Amino acid sequence: MDFTTSMSVAASGMRAQSERMKVISENIANANSTAAATGGDPYRRQIPTIKSEFDRQLGATVVAAGKPLEDMSEFRTQYDPGNPAADKQGYVKLPNVNSLVEIMDMREAQRSYEADLTVMDATKTMMARTVELLNK
Amino acid sequence: MDVSSIPLLSLLKERMSWLSQRQDLLSQNVANADTPGYSARDLKPVDFEQALRNVTSGNKVAGTLAIDDPRHIALRPQSGGVDDGGTAGFGTNSTGSSVSLEDEMIKVSETQAQFQAASNLYAKAIGMMKTAIGKTGM
Repeated sequence: MDFTTSMSVAASGMRAQSERMKVISENIANANSTAAATGGDPYRRQIPTIKSEFDRQLGATVVAAGKPLEDMSEFRTQYDPGNPAADKQGYVKLPNVNSLVEIMDMREAQRSYEADLTVMDATKTMMARTVELLNK
Repeated sequence: MDVSSIPLLSLLKERMSWLSQRQDLLSQNVANADTPGYSARDLKPVDFEQALRNVTSGNKVAGTLAIDDPRHIALRPQSGGVDDGGTAGFGTNSTGSSVSLEDEMIKVSETQAQFQAASNLYAKAIGMMKTAIGKTGM
């Protein structure tokens, strides 16, 4: 139990949050990706997951990004008969990505990342204070 | 005589290691702020007045064992232990963990300030000793 443990735990949090950001950015980037073939399914929204695990070596509960899950909600449809991916009725299936939801999720990830960064900063200051005792 | 047997210095050492352990728990809370089902933990505060009395009056405290032989092993003073959740907070957040980032940030800065105070006191105590032995602390 020392400051390096706190730093490692905070770093694991930051790693998990950046993994979450990766999934969110995939969703936002693919918000308009339609199916390649006629009548096929477009891009399906991914849900980032986060789980905590006990690290025996550190003796602390670290956090890790889990496997992203698929969002099974319905696809949006749009009437666009000229689109190559349109079905017989002229409707195109669009991904079930809601950019408002994604942006809210992104803000949450950002806030958690900032909190981890603050903890790291505070720990670093405490470590520096201890090292400074050598100068006295 | 060893430096850590000076009551003030050993007290400050205990204090700093307690704060470092608390920082460790707080960083676990913040890292797991988005983990479903995780509940926030914190160290129970140690009664420092009692701890100070233990250190200044030797080892003769109720509940600890007497040490009258060099082969006896001293028991470490009771640390507060871990407080598992149950703290009055805002309940669980949207991700299902009971960590409130605001609370944690306040605790982190509190720990940092207390650590700074302890390390400053430590430096002052060492400085006083250096003055006593005639070497100015520069």
